[in-house]
Amino acid sequence: MHLAATIRNVVHRFDSVREVLARANPPKSGDDLAGISARSAVERVAARAVLANLTLHELRQHPVVPYEKDELTRMVEHTLDEGAFKAVSHLTVGQFREWLLESETDGLKIRSVSAGLTPEMAAAVCKLMSNMDLMTVASKCQVVVRANNTLGLPGRLSSRVQPNHPTDDVQGILYSMREGLSYGCGDAVIGVNPSTDTAESTAEILTAIDKVLKKNDCPTQHCVLSHVTVQMRALDLGCPMDLMFQSLAGSEAANKAFGISLSLMDEAWEKMKEKGTARGPNSMYFETGQGSALSSAAHHGADQVTLEARAYGFARRYKPFLVNTVVGFIGPEYLEDGPQITRAGLEDHFMGKLLGLPMGCDACFTYHARMSQDELESLKVLLGAAGCTYLMSLPVGDDIMLNYQSTSYHDIPSVRRLLNKRPTPEFDAWMVERGLWDYEQNVPGPAFGRPEAILPT
Amino acid sequence: MSRTRQLIDALREQLGGSAPEPPPPPLPRVPEPPVRVFPRRSEGTRYARETAAHTTAVLGIGQVGTRYATDVVLQFQAELAVAHEAVGTELPEDWPAQNGLLGLRSRVSNHREFLLRPDLGRLLDEPSLALLKKEARHGVDVQPILADGLSAVACMQSGLALLESFTKACQARGLTVGIPVCARYARVWLEDEIGQTVGAKVAAILLGERPGLGTGDGLSAYLVYNPKVGNTDGDRNMMSNIHPRGTPPAVAGDRLAVLARAMVDQKRSGVALDLSRLTAELGEAASRHPRAPQVRVRLLEVEK
Repeated sequence: MHLAATIRNVVHRFDSVREVLARANPPKSGDDLAGISARSAVERVAARAVLANLTLHELRQHPVVPYEKDELTRMVEHTLDEGAFKAVSHLTVGQFREWLLESETDGLKIRSVSAGLTPEMAAAVCKLMSNMDLMTVASKCQVVVRANNTLGLPGRLSSRVQPNHPTDDVQGILYSMREGLSYGCGDAVIGVNPSTDTAESTAEILTAIDKVLKKNDCPTQHCVLSHVTVQMRALDLGCPMDLMFQSLAGSEAANKAFGISLSLMDEAWEKMKEKGTARGPNSMYFETGQGSALSSAAHHGADQVTLEARAYGFARRYKPFLVNTVVGFIGPEYLEDGPQITRAGLEDHFMGKLLGLPMGCDACFTYHARMSQDELESLKVLLGAAGCTYLMSLPVGDDIMLNYQSTSYHDIPSVRRLLNKRPTPEFDAWMVERGLWDYEQNVPGPAFGRPEAILPT
Repeated sequence: MSRTRQLIDALREQLGGSAPEPPPPPLPRVPEPPVRVFPRRSEGTRYARETAAHTTAVLGIGQVGTRYATDVVLQFQAELAVAHEAVGTELPEDWPAQNGLLGLRSRVSNHREFLLRPDLGRLLDEPSLALLKKEARHGVDVQPILADGLSAVACMQSGLALLESFTKACQARGLTVGIPVCARYARVWLEDEIGQTVGAKVAAILLGERPGLGTGDGLSAYLVYNPKVGNTDGDRNMMSNIHPRGTPPAVAGDRLAVLARAMVDQKRSGVALDLSRLTAELGEAASRHPRAPQVRVRLLEVEK
């Protein structure tokens, strides 16, 4: 394979498809840390030109982690939809980009090819797209899933309520959750990151949340984001659990560092199909984020965008109800500043949607990254405009346990109003009945922002 | 005139000609809005007061349309500014010497590199390594290391108090303690190389922790038995939230010395360390991921 391009008489040569993918990436501190990023802006464009001329068929033949070394690579290869692949395999990445952007290519057509794409293909076309390209294509993709709620319909923007507490004080969690519901947040999930990773604690939090939701006839799902093995034991204790959670990464070795494997996740999914309490059919919740593979030295020389796409390749096996990237959480050594975090959020949303996932985003920063609050607010609007399935929501965006800044309870109704979006139809109806929103005038209802209106148990 | 021009001219007339918007009607005096404050224990809504007993999350703050009230915005910005300032402040080069500490530096050469290259913050630069070899007391039980970490503000505010209480508490438990050193641009794992170089049984790094909203003055301490390059997080025991509103430095120093004594006695640290008989002495430090209780304070007051 000849991998070279010339710019102003300088020939830029690359040794492998993996290297082309890495050098074609927009600047990311994590790729610098791995020592694989483009050495100059010109070399980056040369890599993109080479990438634009590779066919999707060639990308399938050159996964960034070898078939022999990685169970994710093997799983993707064995389960790819051959019919869907054949429809686009002859296209170059450059032609594929154009096909995605064409006005005649609608969401339905994209859905038809989605199952025939490997993660490397989604990552490759992502690297040839500007931020607005990414938003344009992502907004066409429609991925509709259902548990107790129906997520992802056109004109909808959902949110997770994230009422974390540093010592898992259940009353504290419920107070925060009730406030969130009163702002119309929480139609994607009420999802708690526990500070104690035990089955008993997971069961206790789920049971308490379940009671409040039932008391208020609130149509949503609950989830406690402990390790998947802990949640499996909690299910054995007999607690309610609408969604089962796990963090996923893009290589077998990186997932091993998370304490998971394909067979473990298969087992967890089976258990959830049997014991999960939401109406379904979708019952799994996954989080991902660029840089996670490198942080456990399991990146195999691949760039963080491609590895992120591979995590989505893993996720789609389980027909999840929710998948979101936690885009700015990992810290400045992987995504340095506002522009990098913004770019990564739009990339991840695009790649997830292209691969057929109900993609949400935790638009966030840690306090040692160089991103301003204004930049973060802008990203939430960009994601909403791109058709992002859901965002997070916390009191003033402040996670008092994990110490980072995300979306606030106030941001969700604000973005919805700016973009003429509504929550899921089920939740929408509940909000109107509870006086939380007045859709005739599209303004807050009398109970809006009044947590007392959401009954305790 | 072309048909298109005629169409556009007609449209302009239809849209109001030269007056595209009617003048706004006069507005009567706007009433003062109700007071909406960032909650304190004594004020705010009933919901805000109830929740304060259970969580430091900012609840019961109400809204203006769908956005925050002015007082909430200002308090939020103050909390954000405090956190960012803590990260952005650098430990002055001469601060260690001025405070009687042996000044060391990691391989990081500037603040941006410190944030982007954690690997370089885990190793000493060559002059520091030579200095440490020459000046250190070798073969001690405990080598304490004060460091900037992600908050030089915390290091400068309560670092010396923590270092002193920890040193005294170690000596009171019969442990020998190395000379006090202070490292700039330091990450947690730097304790491995420092401890290994001086041949200490236990290395203890006390450093500024990654700030949360409204904090930035918290120190964390990480202790490791048999410090050597290549140790991982599973080999360490840690204590966080060391500041006046969490665990005060004097109390923390004592608890950390209990940890150090247990490591020397059991010849191990991290997940393998048995702390079951020390829970009373250790308080929150008995857990491998201890969290001190937090209090959210109002940062901003306007003088009238």
